[in-house]
Amino acid sequence: MIEVEQLTKVYGSFSAIENVSFRVEPGEIMGFLGPNGAGKTTSMRILTGFLPATSGTARVAGYEVHENSMAVRERIGYLPETPPLYPEMTVENYLGFVAELKRVPAGDRAKQVDRAIERCNLQEKRNTLIRKLSKGFKQRVGIAQALVHDPPVIILDEPTVGLDPKQIIEVRSLIKSLAGNHTIVLSTHILPEVSMTCDRVVIINRGKVVATGTPSELSQQAARSTQLTLELEGSPEEIQTVVAEAGGQVVQMQGAAQPGRFQVTVAHAQGGDGWIRDLASRLIQAGLGVYEMRRSQVSLEDVFLQLTTQEEANSQEGGDE
Amino acid sequence: MSSLQGLWVIFRKELRTYFVSPIAYVVAMIFWMLSGFFFVRILASVVDYSLRLDASPFGGSQPFDAATILLQQFLNLMGTLFLFISPILTMSLYAEERKRGTMELLATSPIANVTVALGKWLGALVFYITLLIPIMIYQLVVYSSATPAMNYRLFVAGHLGLILMAGAMLAFGMFVSALTDNTIIAAIGTFGLMLLLWVIDAAAGQSSSGWDPILRYLSILQQYGNWVQGSLTTSSVIFFLSMIGLGIFLTVQAVEGLRWQRS
Repeated sequence: MIEVEQLTKVYGSFSAIENVSFRVEPGEIMGFLGPNGAGKTTSMRILTGFLPATSGTARVAGYEVHENSMAVRERIGYLPETPPLYPEMTVENYLGFVAELKRVPAGDRAKQVDRAIERCNLQEKRNTLIRKLSKGFKQRVGIAQALVHDPPVIILDEPTVGLDPKQIIEVRSLIKSLAGNHTIVLSTHILPEVSMTCDRVVIINRGKVVATGTPSELSQQAARSTQLTLELEGSPEEIQTVVAEAGGQVVQMQGAAQPGRFQVTVAHAQGGDGWIRDLASRLIQAGLGVYEMRRSQVSLEDVFLQLTTQEEANSQEGGDE
Repeated sequence: MSSLQGLWVIFRKELRTYFVSPIAYVVAMIFWMLSGFFFVRILASVVDYSLRLDASPFGGSQPFDAATILLQQFLNLMGTLFLFISPILTMSLYAEERKRGTMELLATSPIANVTVALGKWLGALVFYITLLIPIMIYQLVVYSSATPAMNYRLFVAGHLGLILMAGAMLAFGMFVSALTDNTIIAAIGTFGLMLLLWVIDAAAGQSSSGWDPILRYLSILQQYGNWVQGSLTTSSVIFFLSMIGLGIFLTVQAVEGLRWQRS
């Protein structure tokens, strides 16, 4: 349904995304995961035809997004980061306006608006001015707007940002209920969202795709590599060197309760237990105080952190060369 | 056909936005008050002049066409008055869409930028025409009692000129509005542009240098003034239409340019 190949977007000397490629199958919910500023919004804006790409191609339902922009726009429902609402309109008027804008034939318009209102549970707010709605309802109107013309593809940019926990659950279940009939791409920087709602995940960092797979695949991949949580005494530089000598990588380091001590999370690419022994003996030899050392359960969150921080370390190395 | 439908959607939305906006009502009130006040003033002075002419021994040889004088003076005033209200009519056309993020909805809908711009411009123009309707009605009431009888061709041509001039100014105001996401800046910018047009007009009236004909041609108010005086020429129709076209073209360019900005 969506095919993205080698997509690159350069602003002056800064490249927002570089050679991003992925596919989304019909009826799938694809999560686009990455820290803030990773290039998620840029990628989505290119998919919707809002931004032209510098190079590469993106196809939606078989149409190239730039060459056949109008055909793509008819087939896409898009919720930008801030829902594009007109506060002086009522929910019904607004959805009617969007339906007309998206070229829903006049005969079907009322029916489609009704359907969108129903699916997003907006019946009671039908004749309320959008200005008077709470943030959660505004977000729902934003989603209703994206599906009012029954598009095959729905693109949601950070659909749960700024909502309270109850609203988040509602919006997530709404998104899940849309799968099957629609192909959905949703971007987020919140991990649990991806494991809860998405069939497949593309992790993006600093404009590059760093991992693709189903949430469980990514967790399995993570489980194979072990992570250690340590409490160490010593200088951060020293800790970094020793961990690197053992072939490990510092994922996270923060000051512990006692001064001079650090909570360190260490990951190792190969996994297994051998390197743990190695690391322990190296730490002792280096004269660092070891106060705690335990294997930790690896969650999707850790994979995410690992992938995104690894990338950072690599790009820093690249910069030094 | 579909782009016509798009034009219709945007036009209706724009018009509805005006009619639900309190600012539009404030503008309408001030506009009606000022235009009404000036109409009465001009009417009084024309009547006064005509009475004095009747009383003087030299009067009466030529009939004094009070209705035409009144129409011309009033239309000139309406032109100047429009300079001051147009920024408020155009300030939110694009700036507000940019601020609210609805620009992204329009830009990802199957509708061309030029269609959006035309729809918005038409919405603003029709709102202005709506404001003119009551003013035209009371003018007609007054002209109907004039002797010698009013030449209604002049009335229609003059108001058509006013509307065309308004169309040109609204197109430029819309362009300024597309340059910013702040309605206040859009209003001030448009107001500055209108003042500039006014200054050009004043300069064209006073200078006697070689620039005079050029300034005269470029001055929207001068062009409009000629029209009001009854010299309805093809060249001035073309002038106004090309000004409108230029304003809309610049707006579309500004909106296209937004896509290349980082945000």
